Amino acid sequence: MPESLRVVLVDDEAPARSLLREYLGAHAGVEVVGECANGFEAVKAIGELSPDLVFLDVQMPKLDGFEVLELLDPAPAVIFCTAYDEYALQAFEVHAVDYLLKPFGRERLAEALARARERLALAATRRESPAAEREGAAEPGSAPPARAALARAARGPGRHAERIVVRDGAQVHVLPAERVDYLEAQDDYVAVHVGRDTHLKHQTLSELADSLDPARFVRVHRSFVVNVERIARIELLAKDQRVAVLHDGRQVPVSRSGHERLKELLG
Amino acid sequence: MHPLLGRPARLLLVIASAAATGAALAWLLRLLEPRPWTAALAFAMPMQVLYSFVVLSAWWVCRRHPMSGAVAWRAATAQCAAALQASAVWVGMGAIWAVFLSRWLYPDLPRAAVFRDLGVLFALGIPLYLISAIAHYLYLAFEASHAAERRVLETEVTAREAELRALRAQLNPHFLFNSLNSINALIGSDPEGARRMCEGLGDFLRRTLALGARETVSLGEELALVERYLGIEQVRFGDRLRVERAVEPGATACRVPPLLLQPLVENAIKHGIQDRVEGGAVRIEAMRDGDVLRLVVENLVDDDAPVRRGEGVGLDNVRRRLEVFGARDARLVAVRQGGHFRVTLTLPALEGAAQEAAHA
Repeated sequence: MPESLRVVLVDDEAPARSLLREYLGAHAGVEVVGECANGFEAVKAIGELSPDLVFLDVQMPKLDGFEVLELLDPAPAVIFCTAYDEYALQAFEVHAVDYLLKPFGRERLAEALARARERLALAATRRESPAAEREGAAEPGSAPPARAALARAARGPGRHAERIVVRDGAQVHVLPAERVDYLEAQDDYVAVHVGRDTHLKHQTLSELADSLDPARFVRVHRSFVVNVERIARIELLAKDQRVAVLHDGRQVPVSRSGHERLKELLG
Repeated sequence: MHPLLGRPARLLLVIASAAATGAALAWLLRLLEPRPWTAALAFAMPMQVLYSFVVLSAWWVCRRHPMSGAVAWRAATAQCAAALQASAVWVGMGAIWAVFLSRWLYPDLPRAAVFRDLGVLFALGIPLYLISAIAHYLYLAFEASHAAERRVLETEVTAREAELRALRAQLNPHFLFNSLNSINALIGSDPEGARRMCEGLGDFLRRTLALGARETVSLGEELALVERYLGIEQVRFGDRLRVERAVEPGATACRVPPLLLQPLVENAIKHGIQDRVEGGAVRIEAMRDGDVLRLVVENLVDDDAPVRRGEGVGLDNVRRRLEVFGARDARLVAVRQGGHFRVTLTLPALEGAAQEAAHA
């Protein structure tokens, strides 16, 4: 008898959750430890409960399923449950265990559950013998997906992130991209400056900058990305040493190549 | 611009045909009064080239006086007058050219022969102009029938597109999938509820297909469809979905394009209920103010709502179908204000019989 599988269900529709609960009830050794009706609840509950497996809807209030995953560290094993088949590729990118298309039956769920158990058992063996992990490093789904891949998946192919999601302990902030003034690299984090507030996001500056609209956000310095709509003027302090003065008076350093990029964009 | 003058290739064709008729004219003039070919051609060729441009002026006269119905006689008169004028102008120019030729190049041509030549020009000028006018009328008729054909095709395409859009807006597959999932869930916990929902879904689909096949439906029928739809969504969203209705009894008899409100209500649920943790109310209003029918669908919106793909397509569909239906008198206005999203449709209030007869 394998040890009990702790599961969290995330879906904004109560009937969908009750269906999962009913299906899972037939499987021994599966314990539903939490149910969430939206993205915020999901981030909080999964963070607190650290379940083995999460059944995750994609379209939900506040945060969608991919944004929820982006905020979880480490990301749990996930089975997506959605009526939309267009997210399947993205789900694969974030190493989802499975992708259940609503409506689905008991057999399909059992299959997904078996796959999850396999994956979790494999991960457990790896933890016990690190040698095995090195050998099997290329095994899909074993390594945690890169944060950039998660962010990319959250916004969908060929689109720019229109919002940045940030987790601060149990609190989740959704920051619309157009409200962001500038980004600043701080070790493993990016400080996202929005008005007087600063939010720390666990991501590299390059990754975050790549996800944003290049017509709006420009890398003006090794450690700074600025929203060009906030720039009031550029001041020259010394040769090749400039600052971008924002409308509220704050200053962001601009390097020589950063200035080139700004000139190119603003003409 | 005359269609023949626009392109160099066509212009060349005009000159070539003028040269051919010019040669014919020279032959005719030689018959009437023997003279060297050079003398005949020197007179006939330039005159004919000149006149071929003069007769092209029939184009503007043709466009000014369309040859149709009651005004046909007026067009004929105008063309005959124009023919006389054109021919007179030609003779005038011919006289100047003949004087020039007889003085400098071919002085042996008798004066009587010159007068006869000018007479020939006048006699030929009128029928030549009239032939040109007829050709232009034929060309215009051809163009008009072509344009009409194109218009018919365009209208057909637009109508078909509108139909397709309506269908697409209607049978949102995700709505079906989610409903089936809800039924699936109910089968375990509430079999009676599952049955009711199967019935509701079947009824909704049947009504959608039936209404969608018609040109117009009464607002009452459209609202009944919306109610079926809301009934199904109520199962999915439970307490999160509340509906407020303010429908004036006098409004329900008005004719509207089918499946006009339902996509708006679907949008309202997506943004006002699905994207909000606590859900909210969807408000549906219908009022009639004299000969104007006003329909409103309103929902709450979150400022930080996730951006959905394909947003706004639903509104565009409704707007286009409204245009097909009511032309200038119909419009859709969408306003987002103070956490509310409000779509207002304004369309002419037409009652049953008249509209149906118009489409019968």
